[in-house]
Parts: sequence; C-alpha cells; structure tokens
Amino acid sequence: MHKRLDRSIDLGPYVAGPDDDMIICRCEEITKGEIRKAVHEGMFTTTEIRRFLRTGMGLCQGQTCGNLVRRIVATELGVSVGEIEYAVARAPFRPIAMKTLANEVEEG
Amino acid sequence: MTNKTDVLIVGGGVIGCAAAYYLSKKGVAVTVLEKAQIGEGGSSRNGGGVRQSGRDPRELPLAMYGIEHLWPTLSEELGMDVEYYKKGNLRLAKTEKHLEILQGLTDRAVAKGLGVKMIDANEVKAINPYLSDEVIGASWCPTDGHANPMLTTLAYYRKARELGAKFITGETVKTIKKVKGQARLLTTDFAEYEANTIIVAAGFESNDILGSVGLHVPMNRVLLEALVTEAQPKMFEQMLGTAEADFYGHQSTHGSFVFGGSSGIDAYTSDYDTPITQGMTAPSICRGIMGYFPDLADAKIVRTWAGWIDECADHIPVISKVDEVPGLIVACGFSGHGFGISPTVGTLLAEMAMDEPLTLDLSELRYDRFKAKI
Amino acid sequence: MKRYELIVIGAGPAGLSAAIEAARAGMQTIVFDENAKPGGQLFKQIHKFFGSKEHKAKIRGYDIGDDLLREAEALGVKVVLNATVVGIYEGKEITVMIGDGITHYKGDAVIVATGASENMVTFPGWTLPGVIGAGAAQTMMNLHGIKPGHRVLMLGTGNVGLVVSYQLLQAGCEVVCLVDAAKRVGGYGVHASKVTRTGVPFYLGHTIKAIEGDGKVEKVTIAALDDTWAFIEGSDMTFEVDTVCLAVGLSPMSQLTKTAGCDMMANVPVTNGYGETSVPGIYAAGDVSGIEEASSAMIEGRIAGADAAYQAGYLTEVAFKTIVEANEASLDQLRQGMFGPDERGKVQTTTDEGIALSTTLLEKGYLAENEIGYFPGVETRQKGIYPVIECTQNIPCNPCQDACVKGCISIGDKITSLPVVGENIDCTGCGLCVASCSGQSIFLIEEKAEENIAYVSMPYEFLPLPERGDRGLALNRSGEVVCETEIIKLRSSKAMDKTNILTIKVPLDMAMKARFFKPLTEGGAKNA
Repeated sequence: MHKRLDRSIDLGPYVAGPDDDMIICRCEEITKGEIRKAVHEGMFTTTEIRRFLRTGMGLCQGQTCGNLVRRIVATELGVSVGEIEYAVARAPFRPIAMKTLANEVEEG
Repeated sequence: MTNKTDVLIVGGGVIGCAAAYYLSKKGVAVTVLEKAQIGEGGSSRNGGGVRQSGRDPRELPLAMYGIEHLWPTLSEELGMDVEYYKKGNLRLAKTEKHLEILQGLTDRAVAKGLGVKMIDANEVKAINPYLSDEVIGASWCPTDGHANPMLTTLAYYRKARELGAKFITGETVKTIKKVKGQARLLTTDFAEYEANTIIVAAGFESNDILGSVGLHVPMNRVLLEALVTEAQPKMFEQMLGTAEADFYGHQSTHGSFVFGGSSGIDAYTSDYDTPITQGMTAPSICRGIMGYFPDLADAKIVRTWAGWIDECADHIPVISKVDEVPGLIVACGFSGHGFGISPTVGTLLAEMAMDEPLTLDLSELRYDRFKAKI
Repeated sequence: MKRYELIVIGAGPAGLSAAIEAARAGMQTIVFDENAKPGGQLFKQIHKFFGSKEHKAKIRGYDIGDDLLREAEALGVKVVLNATVVGIYEGKEITVMIGDGITHYKGDAVIVATGASENMVTFPGWTLPGVIGAGAAQTMMNLHGIKPGHRVLMLGTGNVGLVVSYQLLQAGCEVVCLVDAAKRVGGYGVHASKVTRTGVPFYLGHTIKAIEGDGKVEKVTIAALDDTWAFIEGSDMTFEVDTVCLAVGLSPMSQLTKTAGCDMMANVPVTNGYGETSVPGIYAAGDVSGIEEASSAMIEGRIAGADAAYQAGYLTEVAFKTIVEANEASLDQLRQGMFGPDERGKVQTTTDEGIALSTTLLEKGYLAENEIGYFPGVETRQKGIYPVIECTQNIPCNPCQDACVKGCISIGDKITSLPVVGENIDCTGCGLCVASCSGQSIFLIEEKAEENIAYVSMPYEFLPLPERGDRGLALNRSGEVVCETEIIKLRSSKAMDKTNILTIKVPLDMAMKARFFKPLTEGGAKNA
C-alpha cells in the first residue's frame, strides 16, 4: 500500500549541507548530497531514489545503505523515518553467476 | 471540494509523465494521479528498447518519429541524462527458420520506409564481436537503440513537476463521471477532481476506470521477467534481440547488462497483486543469453524482477479520443513496446488534449477498431 | 523438483532448533545454510551463555552449536552447507545455489531463520578500510582466527559491543575505548565490567565525529553530545587506531519473507504466536523475526518446528500444546529482568529488590567501590574464604546457584533475582562458582589479617596463561593500577571449561579493590 503523497508540497530551496559529499551507498558511490537533491527534485520514496540514483542497486542490493537512505529522505521531507518505505527485495538474494543460474541440477 | 485543473492524467508511468511534460511545456495546468509511485508499472521494468524494427506497421511511424525528432535531444531537453543510445538493433538468428522470421519482419519494415536490412554472420561479428559463432545472421537496424526507462520516466516527471504539473501518488482513481455529456470528473479514494480533458494512461488497470463510462479495451495482463548483472567492462552498445524473442537486452551506461525474457509459460502464472518472478524463468533466460553470449557466463546476476505487459488484442496500443465520451482520451495497451514510443505518444497526447492538429495520424490506433473476425 | 515436508533456511540456533523439533516429531526435514559451517552466530560466541540450565547457561556458544548440530544429525535432519537460498517463489518453492548450479526444492512448510545483518552509521571517513561491523570482527576472530586490527575503537555498548570488545582483548588487540551516544551502557553491566577492569575506558554520551587516514583508518575523533545531539565545543578526543568497530544494532535479513509476500511490520515479518507468517506454511524464527539473542532464537525455532509438525499431523494437539507451553515459559523467563522487552525505554533506578542501581556501572561501565556493599552477593567477612558476587542487575541467569555444592549461593525460582551469598556459609574455595559465572563477576576473597594480606581469586580468560610466581599489577574495577601483585595459584580444570581461576596476593586493604591482573611483561604484549 502506498501512502498518499502530494508531490507539490514546498520543500523549500535546497540548502547545501556540510556533509553532502559523504558517501552513503558504498556499492554505487552515491553521496548524501545527491540523495538530498533528488528529494528536492521530486523523488520522495526509497524506490524512486533507487531508480533515479542507483542507491541499493549494487552488489549488496541495499543491505548496507537501505536505512541510511531512508533516514536522509525522511529528514529532507520533514517526516519520521517510519514514513519512508523499506526497499523491495528481489531474487537472487546473493549475486549468482549466469552460468550457475543457468545450470539447473536435480537433487543428488 | 472538487479540485479543478485543465487536464487530468491517470497513471504516473512514462506515458502519463511524458504527456504531463509536453502539456506543461504548453502552459497547460495538469494534475497526474498515480495509485502507487512514479513509474511503478511497466515503465520501470522493461528492457529499455527504443526501436523501430519489429514493430507493427500501424505503430511504426510513432517509433520512427521519436527516433528522428525526439530521442536524440531528450536528455538535453529534460535536463538529465536518460542514457539514450542510437547504436542499432541486432535481431539474431541461429537457424534458417530464424532467418525466415527476420526476413519477413525486415520486408514489412522496409515497405514502410524503415532502414533495416538482413546481414550475414561476418557482418554480425563485425558489429558485435562478442556474439557466439552459432549466430548465422541477423536483421540490422542501425537507427534503433535503447535508453534507461527508469531515468526517462523520472526525467519526464521531474521536468513536468518543475514546470508546475501537480503529481499525487498513493491515490487511486475509481471512476470517471460525465457532466452534461462531457467526461469531466474523476473520483478517487481520497477526493474528486475536475478537468476539461481526462487522459487515462494506467496500463492494464485502465479498464478498472474505463468501465465506469462503459468502455473496455481488450487487453490481457501478461507476465514477463527481466534480470540485471553487476557492472561489466564495456562490451557493446547495440540493442539485442533474437528471432524468437527469447531474450532481448542491452548493456547500460553503468556497465550492467539488462535482459528481458520469458520461460514460455509466464502467461499462465497465478494472479497476484504484484508481478512476481517464477523459479524457472531466470535460468531459462540465462541459458538463452549464454547461447548467444558465451562471454557473459561468469557475469553475476544481482537482481531479477517481473512486470506485466498490458497486451492488447491486436498487439498495439489504443491512443485515442473516445467519440461517445467527449473529454476522455485513452492511452493504454502498449503490449510491451510502449517505452520506445513514449516521447512521441506524450507529444501526441498533449496535442490531442489541446485539440491541436496531430503530428501523426492515429486513426489506426482508435479505441473502436476492434472488429469480430467474420 | 524435490519436495520436503519441512525446509529450514538457516542453520543457526533458530534453524537447527526448529529442524530438531520437527524431525523429532517425524517430519522429513532439510536445512540449508550459505556458510561453510553451521551454527550461525553460535560459533562466534566464545563466551558462556546466561539464563538457566534449560537455556544452556554457562555453556559456551560454540559448544551449544556443536550440540545442536549433533542432535539434528542424530534425528536424520539433512543439513546442506555452502547452500545459498537465492530465491523463493509461489508454492513455497525455493532455488538453492550449491556449487556451480542451482536446485529447486519445494516445502510443505518453510521456516525462514536467516538471522540479521549489521546496521551502519555514517560519519566522515566511515567508508575507509578498517571500519567494520562488530559482528564482522567477531567472525574474523572466532571463525577465521584473524585479528581484525591492532588498535580498535568500539562504537556501541549494547551486548554485542561489550562482548566483542572483550573478545578483541582476548585476541590480543588493544581496545582504546568504547563509545556510545546514549548516556547509559546498553548491555549487561557484567559484560561491561569485564572490559573496564582491564583498563578500557567508556565514553557514554559521545559519538564518532570523524575518522581520518590515508586510504585506511589511522585516527578517530570522538566528541561529547549535548541534549540536542549536537557536538559540544571543545570536547574532542582523538585516538590513533587502525580499526573502528560499529556495534550499532542489527536488522533482520528478511528478504525471503518480504519476497514471499508475508505481511511485514517495518522490516520484520509479522508472525502469530507460533512463528507462522501471514503466508500459511511460511514461518520466521530467530533474529529474522525480531532481534533478541541466540537463547531466544532457539526457543522460537522449537516452537515453529513444533507448529509445522503439528500442522503436518505429526503431533497431536495435546503434544503440541505441551511443547509450546514449556517453550513459552522458557522464553518468558529469558525476557524478564532489567533488559527485557517490556523494560525497553524505561529508565530504571532500582533493582527488583529495591536496591539502587549503580549509576557508575551504567554511565562508566564499572561498579564504584562504595556502591558494592549494598548488594546481596557481597557479604564481606573476616575469617576464611568466601565468594563476593558483584552481580548487581536483574538479568535472567542462575548457574552460580547450582555451581556451589555447599549451598552458599541462592537465587531462587525467579532467575532474575540477584544472587545472595548466605551469612553462615561453608565455602571451600573450590572456585566452581567463579568459573560458572558467565558474567565473570564472582571473586573469592581470603583475608589473612595477621599477615596484612588478602588473596583474591578471579576468573581469567586471557592467553598466554600466566604462571604461579609471575609478578604483575593489580587493577581495580575501573582499570586503575592499585598495587603490585604476585600470582599465588592458577587453577584450570575441565569442569571450569576454559575459565581459569587466578589467585593473587595483595595488601589486606586491597581485597575489595583488586579485580584484575595485568602481567609485567617487557614488550607489553599480553597474548600469543
């Protein structure tokens, strides 16, 4: 279920922060500033941020940065972190080589 | 309390966002109502193809127009990189039967003025040296390509929002209501909205809403799956497909490979609220890919996903005003190839909504074209 | 595709316990684990567990792991290692990556026991090599025999931060300090005391300001926080370290339950009282269903396994209810006391017995000498040898009671009660109580007033073991040197399970001060 969000709300101008250059998503090297700016450009959900910036698309699929991103988005939107949805999880739950995934084996 | 605006758009996918952008560019007041989040449906799940080849002749002009006039400058226009590549499309063949299929598609396209031709194994290898030696030929369309569907959708959204379009997500449109013969009102699970024109671009769910004004677009919801690898060294920039469409994909700017495909049984999966992947599909897609790209065998897959195609009865969309429901425009049923024509469709929808002459003739995509076979 | 009656994902405490319970009832059970070794967190836990006998109190985590594994195998449970469940699909189908291929399985029931992963906090420099999770440090040390670094700062004073800090010391690392933004130590006081008495300071109400280094961690600066969580001007402290451990909480690895369509509350699958999620036949047990500890994970696993067996017709309703009741009672016991879920967020000031909690322990990690006398475990004497139990918080734990054959120590039915050392006790100085105390908070004192000396016996778990006659320094509870000392006796026995009893000779007035022994070695290195 998606919460109702009016994307026209006024978030005020983007104010640069002293730690904007801090890396948040280590796998894809996305910074705090990029995430904050994305919120100002209309990306209000974890998933939109992910599709826009690639946070959570790296090898760890958001296991490390997930909550960090949620907190930044929540702060930028002025809401509690509980309002920001958790990222969706998808198979495969660990990276798997194409040849391994292609190799379907019956139980030995 | 009714919220009034010039144009209401139902659906925050690439079609709805593009239409919102082109309308906002004209200074029209637009409100987009999306039940989930921006680009939640096929717009963020597809394989990113921006192609003319392999299209139904009725739809082909839209693709050609977009590639010639809109895609090349889209990133600049929207102020962000949508990763558009115009580096061609190879549709690969391994058997004589494949070649026949491709020849048929090629002939049809050439007849419509598209620059696509058949090439032999050597020419294929020259374009893409990573392909397996089993490839015996391909159809080659040098002006086809690919782009990033997530970024394109969000780029349209971002720019439209910047130009003043209102977007509300998490609100579900329930019914359309006519006022004195004109489609003017929308009711959602939250409020009521009014506009001179209503565009329904809500994919398969469009029918849920259209039913309230006695309309139904003959569509089925068909599952397809996709997968993405970790970043690989740069290999090639063409869009790829196969004669039997067992997989298609490209290498993204990031370096990861995105491939779509199916197991063949996906159309018969259980019905869930969200599209989910099947255990047998990704392995099948992988075998298909490796059959053409042995080099990718060691590439690690990091994510799989599924999406629904709103498959129209004749495999092309409805992009049309509705004569008996004046004020209503329907744009759905893109049947798995809406992304590539989305800039064109957005442009046309904006023209349609403002009663301007249409850049392209859409009479073959009318809502009332579906006739019985006898 | 092979179908099993029960598929368990994760061979940690919850997973193995679930498999055991289900297999015991007769279910055809298979367990998959992505690691090379089973046991999940258990094999990393080299300390003795708390609770009571039924909770495996005073047994070291890895021994519990071994026990579970043996029990599972004896019941015919198939445990497949190096088997990563990469997908879960409709119909409770899973795909498992084993070696260079995948295999599809289907379960009539699936128990997800995948545990949790470590949280991160950010500050400038957090991505430098050398910043690692405390759990990762634990894996390196206890599974792979590798020191994570030489000089370590630990962020977080929950049980993970406290326990891992001690293990870092045992591995031969130098722990420069523990830091926590909270005003009070988050974990057990006894875990903190083990660390502070070795000389490691705690800085509560502080957090990391920045980490610096050229391509790796070289130094870390911490600072105090005011009530608005802003750094207080002038409170910076910089330490030269090569490793920063983050013990800032865990989050369930609930991807499987999310993907399977289970109802979720935040990142936790919603379960009924038996561990079943909203998808019939899919269960969640252990940390994946809410962070607690290995002891609770084992019980949750058993309940889920029993429910799966009951639903599959292998247990009668009566048998099932009996198992559940026993386990629920056991779980309930673990959830009592000062650190139980019901007490979370409350600021306690006294124990259940009405004794004022040591604020020094909560704010600095050690008991102040003038606070100890109030506790029932501390009954100082003149004659003979006697135990002094510096256990001052209500936690579910009672192995000391059973350890003493002379009945010197009593806790009673409520296992969170503070241990009481009786008044007219007949202590023989055997030291079994010292070794049985998982919190290492029991000492033996023998005062020799006529010689103006006292013997203090303490638990000692550092290598290399010193020898009788070794000279060293006696440290007090806060790690300060209080006097020079000499080792009189060193006892080790199988029954004491690697807790050695070290006896030192100190001046009489040091009897209630000396609580740790630091060898006088030239190089400063303490451990092999």
